Amino acid sequence: MEELQISDNLCDHCQNKVSVGHKFCSHCGSAQNYKEVVIHSKKWPNIQQIGLFFMIEILCCTTSLLIEEHSLTTLFCIDGIMGIAALLFFFNSWSETKNILKWPGFSVWKLMGLITATILASIMVTFVVDHLNELVFKKEMEYYSIFAFHKYGTWLMFASIALYPAIFEELAYRGYLMQKLLSVVDEKEAIYISSILFFVIHFSLISVFWLLPFALFLGWLRIRTKTLWYGIFIHFFFNLTACFLDLYPLEDLFGLVFQH
Amino acid sequence: MENQSDSLCNSCYRPFVPSDTYCNNCGFPFQGTKEEKDHHIANRTVKEIDLSDLNRSVESACNSLYWIAGINAVSAIFIFFTAAPEDQFTLLIMNVILVGAFLAFGVLGKTKPITAMVSGLSLYVIIQILNLIADPTTIFKGIIFKVLIIVYLVKGIRAVLEADKIKKELNIE
Repeated sequence: MEELQISDNLCDHCQNKVSVGHKFCSHCGSAQNYKEVVIHSKKWPNIQQIGLFFMIEILCCTTSLLIEEHSLTTLFCIDGIMGIAALLFFFNSWSETKNILKWPGFSVWKLMGLITATILASIMVTFVVDHLNELVFKKEMEYYSIFAFHKYGTWLMFASIALYPAIFEELAYRGYLMQKLLSVVDEKEAIYISSILFFVIHFSLISVFWLLPFALFLGWLRIRTKTLWYGIFIHFFFNLTACFLDLYPLEDLFGLVFQH
Repeated sequence: MENQSDSLCNSCYRPFVPSDTYCNNCGFPFQGTKEEKDHHIANRTVKEIDLSDLNRSVESACNSLYWIAGINAVSAIFIFFTAAPEDQFTLLIMNVILVGAFLAFGVLGKTKPITAMVSGLSLYVIIQILNLIADPTTIFKGIIFKVLIIVYLVKGIRAVLEADKIKKELNIE
């Protein structure tokens, strides 16, 4: 039945019948895949746009590395520029990206399950990362020191480390970047590339053990669920747990439990 | 059912039926003038040569990922033996990850060239930037090699896309 319908294809140029499997019209000679050719010719400009976006990200992140004395002002300035860039690129491709802001097949149970798994994974990763950093770099990782002096330091830390990346990194990497990549490569490759770029921009080679799998999972989830929202929640709770453990280290929590 | 014919297209050598004005596989004008037929064959040949050149560019670009891995491995051995003992373990871990990553990208390049080259290029650029921040003089060390690698990879990415476009235009898989 399906074959019968396909065999009734008409040439876009001369409207004569074109049989199944015929690549050119035998009446007028025009190629039957000109739409695909047009799509292919747009791939290089899309790659250039992705390159521009990533260059801006690199520029912002290296600026942050070049600043010797970090303050909340510089941190928020750089975050602000990166956030604006993410929004501009995302909304510039609004016709392609708007659909991923919808939430088809929303499920509270699925969301709660994912959040629970994320919190557990984050506890495990924080524990492993702490030990790995001590082993490889002989130093501890901590987020709070830059926020500590401020009256609302804890809240600012949550906003800067949990809320901001959850929204803007997801809009940038699983949103804009992945959507643009999907117009160049297939879904699998889009997941790989967006995850590797997400890992690379964090400037931490050792994070290959957790950041890359985390990004691959978020990419896979974004493709599978066709929405950005699960990723935003997972990213938020992953980072929030890490912040929480920075304020209340696991050893202290264990100590409290065992004392009682 | 199509009529079977012993006639073969002059351009792609696929069979065709006498009622066809154009070849349904390559678009060759059976009833065109000699000039039109020659133009079609010449155009197709040029595109096939372009495709072959582009495939070579892609191969070279993918091989450059192995070159990066090799150069990194050699410099890592040198750095390992000249570094302070307390830094040796950290450097070893970092370089094993880097060499492993570029080797993996090289292997991936055989099946997924765009993923391999985009990832390899971004990682390579980031490493050069981090080296530059740590020690600005490193930018001049092997500058020609660095520029060549970046040019090769960018050209490689473009070549993959161009080759795909030509395949679509020629209607070949």
